[in-house]
Amino acid sequence: MNPIVVGVIGTLLVFLLLFLGMPIAFALMFVGFVGLSYLSSVEAALPVVARTFYEVAAHYPYTVIPLFIVMGGFAGSAGLTRELYNTFDKWFRRLPGGLGVATIAACAGFAAVSGSSVATAATMATVALPEMRRFGYAPRLATGCIAAGGTLGFLIPPSIGFVVYGMLTEQSVGKLLIAGMIPGLILAAAYIAIVIVKVRLHPELAPASPEPVAWRERIRALSGIWETLLIFIVVMGGIYVGIFTPTEAGAVGATLLFVTALMKGRLSWTTLIDALKEAMRVSVMVLTLVAGANVFSYFLALTTIPVQVATWVAEMELSRYLILAIIVVIYLFLGCFLDAISMMVLTLPVIFPVILNLGFDPIWFGVIAVLMMEAGLITPPMGLNIFTVAGVAKETPVEEIFRGAAPFLLSIFVIVILITIYPQLALFLPGKMLR
Amino acid sequence: MKRSIQRITYYMGMGGMFLLIPMMLLTTFDVIARAFWHKPIMGTVELSSYMLVLFVFAGLAYTQQVKGHVRVTFLVVRLGERARYTLEIVTNLFCIFIVGILVWQGWVVGAEETTVSDMLRIPQRPFRLLLPLAAFLLGAEFLFNFLESLENLRKSK
Repeated sequence: MNPIVVGVIGTLLVFLLLFLGMPIAFALMFVGFVGLSYLSSVEAALPVVARTFYEVAAHYPYTVIPLFIVMGGFAGSAGLTRELYNTFDKWFRRLPGGLGVATIAACAGFAAVSGSSVATAATMATVALPEMRRFGYAPRLATGCIAAGGTLGFLIPPSIGFVVYGMLTEQSVGKLLIAGMIPGLILAAAYIAIVIVKVRLHPELAPASPEPVAWRERIRALSGIWETLLIFIVVMGGIYVGIFTPTEAGAVGATLLFVTALMKGRLSWTTLIDALKEAMRVSVMVLTLVAGANVFSYFLALTTIPVQVATWVAEMELSRYLILAIIVVIYLFLGCFLDAISMMVLTLPVIFPVILNLGFDPIWFGVIAVLMMEAGLITPPMGLNIFTVAGVAKETPVEEIFRGAAPFLLSIFVIVILITIYPQLALFLPGKMLR
Repeated sequence: MKRSIQRITYYMGMGGMFLLIPMMLLTTFDVIARAFWHKPIMGTVELSSYMLVLFVFAGLAYTQQVKGHVRVTFLVVRLGERARYTLEIVTNLFCIFIVGILVWQGWVVGAEETTVSDMLRIPQRPFRLLLPLAAFLLGAEFLFNFLESLENLRKSK
């Protein structure tokens, strides 16, 4: 059989198995192994899975994944979530939908010290939801703000999304992380604008305006964010000026947050265990996926599909922006069913060569890809952040949360278009990096 | 039997996760030592890699125990009970198959390994040989899931 046909069958088989509920990492390993056995030989294919798995597990740069995740856990234990929320609440509460605005700002702040967006949504939900409920905010607005705000954790560095993208495409993780900063801030601003406009149009969504705060109190409240700001500056600044690698930055950030939580006396045995458990579960899941994806990629490379697709697309002589738009739509569709990391490992082996062939900047596309993964976190039926928020807001139906988060999707698209028109928004900072 | 194996898996995971703390401290001290005294700690990278190996393999089966390996369930949950259990049986069998290969080949590849690390000359073999153990426990988790689905299918008749 023609290797390309084998490759297409293999790819379809992966999608079939994953829709039948097989864990994605093992579906990739399984099909990769069977495909390699068919195209080369069983003897050649046998050791590949075990070798690949060990190589992934022993790859030093991957230590950044558990470290970035545990940063979020420690930041939560240190109570930074509540402090951020309290500060932004004092500053923004008089705006229309002020508590929602404060929630999104606090999510952005938390994202600056946490690598995972689900962690951002989960911790913020426990803090901000009771407040918004107390002031009679519509559940749809309240839960939507948190679910959407949580996606910022994926774009604002540190971010697992950029780490995995960088590893799969062999791009500089440091540059990718830095590239996410400006788009992340713009997206946060766009989310805030959406809340304000929505509440202006429908004041009944956020009826009560809490009592005003004196300026002296506002200034004093700023003390609630200095730790977050300092840690962010040390971690990202260190990467930016080249004092340390992203991996080392993860270690330094985790240590700083660990010490912060200890000094505040907030790190109990239970919170420590919870943070470590979460870090282990998520990083083992991610690295197993990466191992599965690598096995599958060897198979795919043998079928020559990635090269063929890249040349085929280049020969079509369509506008490269049309092809980009198609890729964005594919990501939007896949995001409805898959989680962010699975989506990347499944698509990048084929899509990345296409992007390179079309002459797009790989760092810039990293930002676009991560933005689309964010969209996938809040699209039905499988938006991970929606379910995380639903786990806390038990009396709000899931459909209601999806509806609440839908307007924020719009701003993700606006940012994707904006960055496509002005790539410098993403590329300016990494271009200025010393190394 | 099932309970004791699952307990081993659980304690391995609980032990492994604490490795994150030495991992982060070692690298942080390395960065500090390099910045202030221009003397990095020898072998930080290889020690961290080995700790990552321990961390990942210790957590491999545990992650399945808490159903942490991502899967797509939105289609499966819409099916009838019997169809769902049948699918679980089939997909678990595929998982057991590929994990079985991991156990077998992990052992074969690991036993042949004679490399030592660059600076501290720590042999790779014991770390490589953790893979078959971790994969065995993972396979056991899949086997328990398989038996459970089989039992559920029988009951739903």
